[in-house]
Amino acid sequence: MDLPIRRLLRPRDPQEAVELLARHPGALPVAGGTDLVVQLRRGKLAADTLVDLGGLGLAGIAEGAEGLEIGAATTMDTIAADARVRAGWPALAQAASQVGAWPIQCRATLGGNLANASPAADTAPPLLIADARLRLLSCRGSRTVPAAEFFAGPGRTVRAPDEIILSVLLPPRRLGPHATAHERFAKVGPRREQIISVVSLAARIVVQSDGSVGEVALAVGSVAPTPRRARRAEEVLEGCRLTGAVRREAVAALEEELAPIDDVRAPAWYRRVAAAVLLDRFLAEVAGG
Amino acid sequence: MAEGVRVRLRLNGEDREFWVPPGRRLLDLVREDAGLTGTKEGCGAGECGACTVLLNGRPVTSCLVLAASCDGAEVVTVEGLAAATGEPHPVQRAFVEAGGVQCGFCTPGVAVSGAAIVARGVRDAAERARLLSGNLCRCTGYLAVLEALERAGEASDGEA
Repeated sequence: MDLPIRRLLRPRDPQEAVELLARHPGALPVAGGTDLVVQLRRGKLAADTLVDLGGLGLAGIAEGAEGLEIGAATTMDTIAADARVRAGWPALAQAASQVGAWPIQCRATLGGNLANASPAADTAPPLLIADARLRLLSCRGSRTVPAAEFFAGPGRTVRAPDEIILSVLLPPRRLGPHATAHERFAKVGPRREQIISVVSLAARIVVQSDGSVGEVALAVGSVAPTPRRARRAEEVLEGCRLTGAVRREAVAALEEELAPIDDVRAPAWYRRVAAAVLLDRFLAEVAGG
Repeated sequence: MAEGVRVRLRLNGEDREFWVPPGRRLLDLVREDAGLTGTKEGCGAGECGACTVLLNGRPVTSCLVLAASCDGAEVVTVEGLAAATGEPHPVQRAFVEAGGVQCGFCTPGVAVSGAAIVARGVRDAAERARLLSGNLCRCTGYLAVLEALERAGEASDGEA
C-alpha cells in the first residue's frame, strides 16, 4: 500500500534540501527510510511532503585533520565494514553490524539512526564515548553540535525541522606509549539480530602500563530518555586499578545513575540489572586481558 | 491528487521507466507496476525479509524503500537471479539439491539474500547465518537453507 504522502522532493545538493525543507513547513527529511516508512505507515508520524536526502552526496567516510568524517547518508553496512572505523572506533563498527539485520543495515543510515533519537539507537552510545560531533546545515548556515548535546528526549533532538545532518565527526584518538585500549559495544535483547536494544552499552577503557585506568568512557542506551554517558561510573574507575572492589563500586554507581522505564520490551528493574551485567562483563574482560 | 514521480530503473537487467505515486514502496512497484510477483510481502515492517531485493547489488527490504528514492538504481528481484539463458543461479540450484524449500513463501527473499551472501564470498558459516538473520523461515529450521548456501558458495568458488 502506498504511503499517505502527497509529494516527494528529490533535491540534488544539501543547500537545495534545506531550502525545500524551509519552504515546506511540516515536510520530513527521509534518508534510508527504514524507520520513517514504518512510522508513516503506522500513523505515528504524518507528513504531506518528504524530502529525499539520498541524492545529496552525503554517503561516504573520509579522513581529515579533524578526524574521521562519516557522511550522514552512510549506511550501517558500510560503517561496519570500514577498516578505519573497525580499527579506531570498534564500538561503532560493532553497533552498526547489530542494527536490525543485514537488509536493514544495507539501507539504514547513520544520520537517520541519530535523527530518529530513539533512546535505543545503537549507534548513539559509541558516538558518545568517541566525543563525536554532528555537522548540521540549515538555511541559516551550518553548525556543529556535540553528540552529547544532540538528543533532547525520546524522539526529540536539537535539530530544527528545516535542518539536516551533514556528517558525524570522530576526533582523532591518540594512545600513549605502553597503554592498551579496550573498547566494546554490547546489547541485550531477546534475539541477537533484528531486535531493538533492551539495554546497550558502549565502553572504552585505556589501561596504562602500571595497570591503572588512564582513560574511561561509558555510554548506555535504553535506560534513560536519551542515550547518555554514565559519568558517575566513569568517575569511580578513573585512575584506579580494576580490582574486584573497584569493579563492584563502578557497577553500583552505574545502577544508581540509570533512569530506565517499564515498557513493552522490558521492565525497568530488568534494564537496570542487564546494564550492570554488561558493564561487569566488560570490566572483567579488561581486567583479565 | 498526489503528484506522480518518474522512476527509471535497471530492473533485472532491463531499462524500465515507471510513473508512480510519491508514496509508492519499491515492493509495490515491483509487484504491481512491473508485475513481478515473485517478491512477497510478509510483515510490511522490515522484519521478515520476504520482500528482499537487491538494490545496487545489496539486499534491502523493499517494503521500507520508497520507489521514488530509487531513480537511476539497479534492482534485481528473484526473477532476475537466473541467467538470461534460463540457467538457474547457483543458489537456486543448491536450494533444490539441499531441499531448502518447504512452503516457499520466504524463499524469494532468502534466495536474494543468499545470492548476495554468495557474491560476497563469505566462507564462515556463522557469518553466513548472521547475514541471513533478517530472513525469517518458519518451516525449514534453516539447516537445509544454510547447507544450500554453503554448497552454492563452494560451487561459485569452483567457477572462480
